[in-house]
Amino acid sequence: MKDYYRVIIGGEAGYGVMTSGSLLSKLAASSGLHVFDYVEYPSLIRGGHNAYEAVFSRSPISDLVGEVDLLVCFNKDTYDRHKDELGSGAIVMYDPDEFDLEAHNHVLVPVPFRSILKEGNGSFMMKNTVLMGALSAILSADINWMYASLEKQFGKKGKAIVELNKKFVKQGYDYAQKQAGNKAIPLLSSETKDSAQLIMTGNDAFSLGCVIAGCQLYAAYPMTPASSVLATLAAWQEKAGMIVRHSEDEIAVINTALGASFAGVRSAVGTSGGGFALMTESVSLAGITETPLVIFLSQRPGPATGLPTWTEQGDLLFAVHAGHGEFPKIVLAPGDNEEMIALTTRAFDLADVYQTPVIVLSDMLLSEHHSTIARETVTSFANKYKPNRGKLITTADANYLRYGPSEDGISKRLVPGQKGVYFQANSYTHSSDGHTSELSKDRIEQVDKRAAKMSTYIKNDFLLPHMSEDIEKKKTVLVSWGGAKGAVKQAIRLLGTEGEHVGHMHFHHLYPLSEEKIKPLFADGVRYVLVENNSQAQFGQLLRQQTGVHLSERLLKYNGRPIHAEEIIQFIQKS
Amino acid sequence: MSYHKSIKPFTTHVPTWCPGCGDWAINSAIKRSFVNIGYTPSDVCVVFGIGCSGNMNDHLNAYAFHALHGRSIPVALGVKLANHDLPVLVVAGDGDTYGEGGNHLLHASRGNHDITVIIHDNSVYGLTTGQVAPTALHGMRAKSTPTGMIERSISPLALLVSQGATFVAQTFAGYLDHASEMVEAAMRHKGFSVVNVLQPCVTFNRVNTYQYYLEKSYYLGKEHNPKDKQSAMKAALEMDNERYALGIVYEDKDAPVYHEQVPTFDGGALVSQTPKRPIDVLTEEFLA
Repeated sequence: MKDYYRVIIGGEAGYGVMTSGSLLSKLAASSGLHVFDYVEYPSLIRGGHNAYEAVFSRSPISDLVGEVDLLVCFNKDTYDRHKDELGSGAIVMYDPDEFDLEAHNHVLVPVPFRSILKEGNGSFMMKNTVLMGALSAILSADINWMYASLEKQFGKKGKAIVELNKKFVKQGYDYAQKQAGNKAIPLLSSETKDSAQLIMTGNDAFSLGCVIAGCQLYAAYPMTPASSVLATLAAWQEKAGMIVRHSEDEIAVINTALGASFAGVRSAVGTSGGGFALMTESVSLAGITETPLVIFLSQRPGPATGLPTWTEQGDLLFAVHAGHGEFPKIVLAPGDNEEMIALTTRAFDLADVYQTPVIVLSDMLLSEHHSTIARETVTSFANKYKPNRGKLITTADANYLRYGPSEDGISKRLVPGQKGVYFQANSYTHSSDGHTSELSKDRIEQVDKRAAKMSTYIKNDFLLPHMSEDIEKKKTVLVSWGGAKGAVKQAIRLLGTEGEHVGHMHFHHLYPLSEEKIKPLFADGVRYVLVENNSQAQFGQLLRQQTGVHLSERLLKYNGRPIHAEEIIQFIQKS
Repeated sequence: MSYHKSIKPFTTHVPTWCPGCGDWAINSAIKRSFVNIGYTPSDVCVVFGIGCSGNMNDHLNAYAFHALHGRSIPVALGVKLANHDLPVLVVAGDGDTYGEGGNHLLHASRGNHDITVIIHDNSVYGLTTGQVAPTALHGMRAKSTPTGMIERSISPLALLVSQGATFVAQTFAGYLDHASEMVEAAMRHKGFSVVNVLQPCVTFNRVNTYQYYLEKSYYLGKEHNPKDKQSAMKAALEMDNERYALGIVYEDKDAPVYHEQVPTFDGGALVSQTPKRPIDVLTEEFLA
């Protein structure tokens, strides 16, 4: 069979599409497969069309690729929307109690979810339980995995509930097995696993990054697609020794985090574009008071409320320019879960070292899609990680100057509370001791001091983009940042030997950029294609502004959907 | 006067206030309270808003954060969450707390966070040279309302009492002893405590003058029971009739404060805890 297998589960919102989807992804990951899943859903709780899409693969996978091999239709609408994506010989599972289908080149597996539940006195909401049984049969999974999962999920509700669910799993399993006969796919039959696999979203990875970094306060106001960080960290707060606060608005969120950071604890906030817009005055406050802060900004298509549950990389220039006045700021953008963990922890270090706001950019695709990562990768990173708190001090003498001069622009930052000393963090232009000053001398000294931090950053901590091996030999180089990384990587994988001349340059330290270090990476005679999930080539603009490098060939997508590997291949092959 | 009984350690630069401004008295009341409680400048954190009130920042030594206009309360909550052993005081104005930052005042009240907020209520925006504040009287003519303010004035004490603040007091900058007494009582209160200080702006407010408050204010007597919310609301609402009750309007000493209800603080102040980083436990959740 082929290397990867693509599944869609679709239906009306509110009937368990997402629940079944996450469970199926987990089941596939437990069989040792690589998983990439993505959920499309409208901004409402009931009705509308929800679709879970996943690719299960024997080799690494970072985008949805290929024709659909298995389509589960909770309603007729799902079939109509996705039938053109079906490959020949694809399996279509549906409920014959709801609608009829005629077989074209497909294997039809009718499973009467409704009748099974009715006869067994189950609630309509248990459709996904029957479905998981049926999917286990179709994909040749061990039914005991589902049994164990039910015990974990419903164990606290008592044996009767567990048994009822098990019964429906078994019925779905038996029914589908009979229907599919020898057409069942040997995809999820147990394999030997090299190492334990984790399956998580980018928001989960950010949350783990916060815990690894020793973040002690996270404040947020719910906003898609950043909301699940708030829920995840809130659930962990006791275990992790954190304070997770849902404040009254985003302005309170960022100011609370700044207060906590001033008082000495690592602090972060999370939001999407609209919430970040409310925070911007305080981003500037973080800049002048030199208070460390990590800001998680998960983008969705704007302007204003925009497309709340869809994806875009449309807030890069906003993030870069957010805040009035001139002050140092660092913008990082991970492209996958491993990078999310690494850059999140790094963001806390950079915020502490440079005593300034650091933005971690995500987008709905990265924040909400699940993918697999080896547990060992996460734990070994966590074990090696040592927080760098920069010039944070806990004792100082009476002559302590909070904003004292220093060549690298970074002054010592005292944790408030030490006896015999005190200082002021000041929103106004101040002298080196923190007192308000309107003297030209103080103004220039402090502006220069803060600006020096960025020169120090470029010298010590700016990191070059990830580049494919032998990039100097490539004829075509795809340039990406953030969430577009997966599609570009997958495009190169799909190209196989044809892709030998195609390279990848992936930027993750987005702002500030170093002209001196970046410019030499671009060679004459190479075809550079900028790949961005926005309409204005925002990274292209930033690159040109900061380094003078101008990339004129651009693949831009801004319909709210992620960029896909196949579109990238088409783009580079068309000319 | 011995050193620790002196307000001198708290005093630094000369502030930018007009002669006769009520801010001078509020500043003295705060310093006196600190001395009476036994604080040195290292023992307390003060978060300032923006306005003439916030300009106390250079006239009051402490661990201090001079925040943005309207945002002193959430900064103070953050300080308190990070280190609940540190007493936290907010010094802000009526524009800061009832205008720009109204939402924060409301929600900090219902959270019963253990911080004290001193509100300079002079019914006017002094630092921007004289526009109406939310506490200005209906019909007040000022730079932004040349034909008179159409809105009715906010009812700050009623707002605070109704939203769950557990200590609500009012004082007058003309009565320094009373102001000191109220600030000290607020600082000693466990929970969200607010002192609304009626304070003439001698430059931009020709209505709410010292004379005005001397005539229109009165001390709450023994018949007032600050533990009774109904009586508190009654006293609070007197402001609508330009009758200003001075004293503790409302007090609930038994309400649990925010930080006492947070399990994470069982391990002490957050800043003194070592982050736990339980990665093995947490990755378990994502195990396929």
